[in-house]
Amino acid sequence: MNPYQEAGEDAHRNVILVMRTDPDSDAEDNQRKLQEFSELTKALNDKVVDVITQERYPDRKYNVGSGKAKELAIVARDKKANRIIFYDPLSTSQIYNISKLCSEAGANCRVMDRFQLILDIFAQRATTHRSKLQVELARLRYELPNARILVSLSKKEERAGWGGLGDYEDSYEQDIKKRIARINTELKKADLEEEARRVYRHKNGFFIVSLAGYTNAGKSTLFNALVDEQTESKDMFFTTLIPKTRALIINKRKILLTDTVGFIEDLPHFLVDAFRSTLEGIYFSDMILLVVDFSEPTEHIRKKLMISHETLWEKSTSNIITVLNKSETMKPAERKKKLEELSHLIYNPIFISAKTGMGMPDLMNEIGMCLPPLVTQTISLPNNESGAAALSWFYDNGLVEEILYGKYMTFDFSATEDVMAKVNDIISKTQATL
Amino acid sequence: MFTVIAVDISGRHRIDAGYYMVCAAASVEITPTSIEKINEINTEAFLFSKPPELLDIVKIIENTAAKIKKKGALIVERGDLFNLDENLSKPMFTQEIRYQESIGERKAIELAHYVSLSTRNLLLKETGLDIRIHENDEDNIDAGDNADDNNKDGADVE
Ligand SMILES: Nc1nc2c(ncn2[C@@H]2O[C@H](COP(=O)(O)OP(=O)(O)OP(=O)(O)O)[C@@H](O)[C@H]2O)c(=O)[nH]1
Repeated sequence: MNPYQEAGEDAHRNVILVMRTDPDSDAEDNQRKLQEFSELTKALNDKVVDVITQERYPDRKYNVGSGKAKELAIVARDKKANRIIFYDPLSTSQIYNISKLCSEAGANCRVMDRFQLILDIFAQRATTHRSKLQVELARLRYELPNARILVSLSKKEERAGWGGLGDYEDSYEQDIKKRIARINTELKKADLEEEARRVYRHKNGFFIVSLAGYTNAGKSTLFNALVDEQTESKDMFFTTLIPKTRALIINKRKILLTDTVGFIEDLPHFLVDAFRSTLEGIYFSDMILLVVDFSEPTEHIRKKLMISHETLWEKSTSNIITVLNKSETMKPAERKKKLEELSHLIYNPIFISAKTGMGMPDLMNEIGMCLPPLVTQTISLPNNESGAAALSWFYDNGLVEEILYGKYMTFDFSATEDVMAKVNDIISKTQATL
Repeated sequence: MFTVIAVDISGRHRIDAGYYMVCAAASVEITPTSIEKINEINTEAFLFSKPPELLDIVKIIENTAAKIKKKGALIVERGDLFNLDENLSKPMFTQEIRYQESIGERKAIELAHYVSLSTRNLLLKETGLDIRIHENDEDNIDAGDNADDNNKDGADVE
């Protein structure tokens, strides 16, 4: 139903970011917002080809001034932009006006605002049926108030062509309303926890460690650093099922590391449910690495930590490590002072720099310490078909060390206590068939 | 670990007798993510004929916390203080007070909330006031059938 063409949906898209700021606003704050805005586009693998900023009060027709808008259209053409994304929320008529300027200039791109970008990110990261519904619902709610204007704008434009537009106008809005109603009914049926539990049922002795934190805290950088440093396990089941998940081995433990959608500042109300639904993995985590950009001013960190705790508190584990990232940018005394000021919000703090690698060994250690302890037992299985079948159970449920093959297959097996409790059953089954 | 006193008030809506409120103050040891130890809990009941105003609420909270021996910052839910900005509510108190921020503080408030709620339900039942509770009493959960258990301090909370 989207009336705008979008080129190059696959590969990476070229995007232009547009940010208008009020004349009397705080320059540093604007800079930070712009940085976060640009980080958001990375979550979709988009390439920022230009950033256009303007200091002025919002223009009714184009959001930025009309001169700036014309300039923007030319840049969009020259840089082959696929998307122009505004920081400010745009009205439908603004989107229409800017799109018109662009197509007149010969650019072929979609004009959208930051909220639509955020919705795209959520959509990409929604795993369960329910979270997909939540995202779709948010999108429809966002579109609804604009549906009528949208159609009447096209009407103005193509007066001659569309005969039965009146009908279409009604049906477009009606269509959105119907879809909202249908999704609401479906949402009532789809139990998120039930579904997520089904997904995580097969976790097979894996510990689920989730990275959480605000956009721009450095989650992705840390994720990559952790993945680079460790041996990746070959278990593909989860890594294909859940986006941004890798299976790793840290301190002999099989770990599923998942990156989550970053918390976003000033998330509008209509996006909150959709955001929370993308966090479903967190609610099944054994541990959360709460990543914080520790180089920010104390007051910002406090607010962000507060909202992180609010989001996590009811449903998730309290097994949290607070990863104080970007610590290399501060002197030790400064770090210590900040930590003291925020101590009531910071659990298990570890100073790191995901960029330079500082503190990474400490982090590994801490992760190892916070995971439930493993027990090791020597196992002997008959070296035959039933033994081989049993062996795959051991691989799935814990860590199998080097196997000595003879009449028996002998190896050390490490796993949690609840897994260990099942070992005797598995072994006795193989003996029954001997 | 920190010692805080988590405070919660139940029953701020009208019943026929007036505004019958129970305030619970729980002194607890918390980490940023959990409650480690419960030191003591005090509950007090208050009856007002008019809807409580901000300064009434401040008094209720301070009076209930005053009986606690193991001191710490008061942790209060923003809504209990009419969603007033923290900077404005702080000066009204004679002691340190903060809105809940961490997971540990949220759990502490949750504890205080269950204590004030169940205490109030019990008191209503014991005094016979409960027949006249207004219908829109959203907080009104079942306090249990054991009417003999008039353990007002809620000391059996783990
Ligand atoms: N100085 C410094 N910069 C860092 C560090 N870690 C990450 N960064 C920078 O911080 C910015 C954000 O990092 P990301 O890893 O993309 O942040 P993120 O939390 O994954 O953000 P989203 O993907 O948008 O949710 C990038 O510009 C990184 O280069 C660090 O340890 N020190």
